[in-house]
Amino acid sequence: MNTLTASHYRQAFDYISGAVDEVDARRQALERFLAQGLPDVRDEDWKYTRLDHLDTTLLHAPILAVSPARGTPAGSPLLRSDPSAAPAVSGYPGQVLAFANGRLVSAALQSGAVLADSLASHTGALAVKRHLGQVAGESALTQLNAALWQDGAYLHLPADSHPDQALFVVHTAGEADAMLHLRHLVILEAGASAVLVEHYTGTADTPYWNNIVTEIVLGEGARLTHIVLTEESAAATHTSRVAVQQARDSIYHAVSVSLGGRLARREVWVNLGEAGAGCQLDGLFIADARRHVDHHLHVEHAAPHTTSRQTWRGMAAGRGRGIFDARVVVQPGAQKSDALQSSRNLLLSPHAEIDVKPQLEIYNDDVKCGHGATVGQLDEAQVFYLRSRGIDADAARALLLRAFAEEALVLLKGTGLRDWMEPHLAAALPIEMENPA
Amino acid sequence: MLEIRNLHVSIGDKPILAGIDLSVRAGEVHAIMGPNGSGKSTLAQVLAGREGYAVTQGSVRYLDQDLLALTPEARARAGVFLAFQYPLEIPGVANVQLLRTALNSARLARGESELDAMDFLDTVKGKLALLGMDESFLYRAVNEGFSGGEKKRNEILQMAVLEPRLAILDETDSGLDIDALKIVSRGVNALKSPERAMILVTHYQRLLNYIVPDHVHVLAGGRIVRSGGASLALELEDRGYGWLAPEAQEGARP
Repeated sequence: MNTLTASHYRQAFDYISGAVDEVDARRQALERFLAQGLPDVRDEDWKYTRLDHLDTTLLHAPILAVSPARGTPAGSPLLRSDPSAAPAVSGYPGQVLAFANGRLVSAALQSGAVLADSLASHTGALAVKRHLGQVAGESALTQLNAALWQDGAYLHLPADSHPDQALFVVHTAGEADAMLHLRHLVILEAGASAVLVEHYTGTADTPYWNNIVTEIVLGEGARLTHIVLTEESAAATHTSRVAVQQARDSIYHAVSVSLGGRLARREVWVNLGEAGAGCQLDGLFIADARRHVDHHLHVEHAAPHTTSRQTWRGMAAGRGRGIFDARVVVQPGAQKSDALQSSRNLLLSPHAEIDVKPQLEIYNDDVKCGHGATVGQLDEAQVFYLRSRGIDADAARALLLRAFAEEALVLLKGTGLRDWMEPHLAAALPIEMENPA
Repeated sequence: MLEIRNLHVSIGDKPILAGIDLSVRAGEVHAIMGPNGSGKSTLAQVLAGREGYAVTQGSVRYLDQDLLALTPEARARAGVFLAFQYPLEIPGVANVQLLRTALNSARLARGESELDAMDFLDTVKGKLALLGMDESFLYRAVNEGFSGGEKKRNEILQMAVLEPRLAILDETDSGLDIDALKIVSRGVNALKSPERAMILVTHYQRLLNYIVPDHVHVLAGGRIVRSGGASLALELEDRGYGWLAPEAQEGARP
């Protein structure tokens, strides 16, 4: 990494270090990141996505997020006065924990022993000490996050607790050239269940870098439905890693919907660590205009009788580029594992590109695994059929795109969030596309 | 209503239709019969506006308009309907959504108001009964997982809802067992009217036992080689197409 760029990260670190814990550990993480540098094409996992532009941008820590000193109640007048610190917290069908520019701007939520609050104000908690940093792994970007994170959501569900409403963690970014390193920690003790939604938005056309790490620990028999809706600003870079550690018989269901940002690279790492654990990683991306959307999934079957499912839909239009790179590893001891990957994609313009890379690595022979991937165009025979019924060409194409996206909404069945998601998706459909014919 | 004059159509360099002349008046039912590869389905597709066919000569007038100059959707709104030989499956689009969008497109084109969901449902219920379909068909994805017979019935349901002026039924009898054939025929017969013309494209005479045509045309080698009344179909049933083949080959010669 060149000296100039390194100095930005050091400056950001110096800027925040007065207000955070574990400064030494953070400094070490920073040095490891600086030694490694940003990931590039030398890393096979980053074959399709370049972050070079981050090296040439004068990135800084978010200014508003540093003061006030820790301990100031969230929602203080200072924070409220920041116009960008007012994400629309209405319109969510559930409880909302709102963040702006990396900082909590709403009140904490507590109901009985169920807690949803700022992670920064709970670094002393036993569960946090035990799990924070233990799940995410040590990539360059998670190291940088470990060094520079200031806040994020902390969700803790005691054993057998079942909040009856979904929890929305909502983040709005509005500071130009800020780098935001949100850190979330989600702990579900044995038998607990919840629906968690992360929603990322930004001020239109503002460039910033959101580098998020979400660590999730699921106890025995715990069930988490985890929806992530990415609607970052059209000039934003979004990198994130969700890392999940699953105990026996726990179920993790993720639905990732990527609709915004100039560049989005989302990673989901799941460790099916104990028998009976299962995960379902579903998603939909729309890469239109000049957007670049890279999804990278990694599922580790580390115990017998574990199950994983992946159902993905992608659309690329304009000069958009979409990547679905998913690896499922079945370890030698993971007999009777069951893994299925499916990826269906629509290429809507001759200048768009979609790369699909499903990979199964199987190290024992007592498993059931399969994958399927397709990249196709809109079916002109279907378009003609609709036109022959009096529906004009554009409306016919829109109807077919909506139908394709509809399959992603079906994945939300049972969460009660379909009606919330639908208009977001409808607004993002690349309706005015070039006809590939 | 429909005047086809000297219509020549090719796919790529290959001529398929080599000079079709056909007049269809309101209230008439025409059957177009012929062996496989005679160009029957091409004629149906060209009338509906399918891309990929080149009209190299001739004209098609429909209700005093140049039909070939219209987009497929404009033809549909002007009252042309094609029942597909192979109806498309459209996962993710509910039957009711297609029917209502299609009907409202036609209504707007006629200067009428759109039907809301309730009025539409009232309209469509009677048509469902006509074709022996229950209401659950409305909420299934268009043709997805339908049996062959259900797909054909669904085509006639669309026709019943859209009430076209000119209905072209492309091999609607193919793949139907006798019971399904009766249901489909009953539906089609119920839609006969003095204002509506129908063109039945079929390989076999069987359908014509149930839907009796006013005129029968035999298409071979891209031309109509024989026209007659309903009895011509019976003659074809007895003698096959072979006795017309020499004429067909002669006709196909440039």
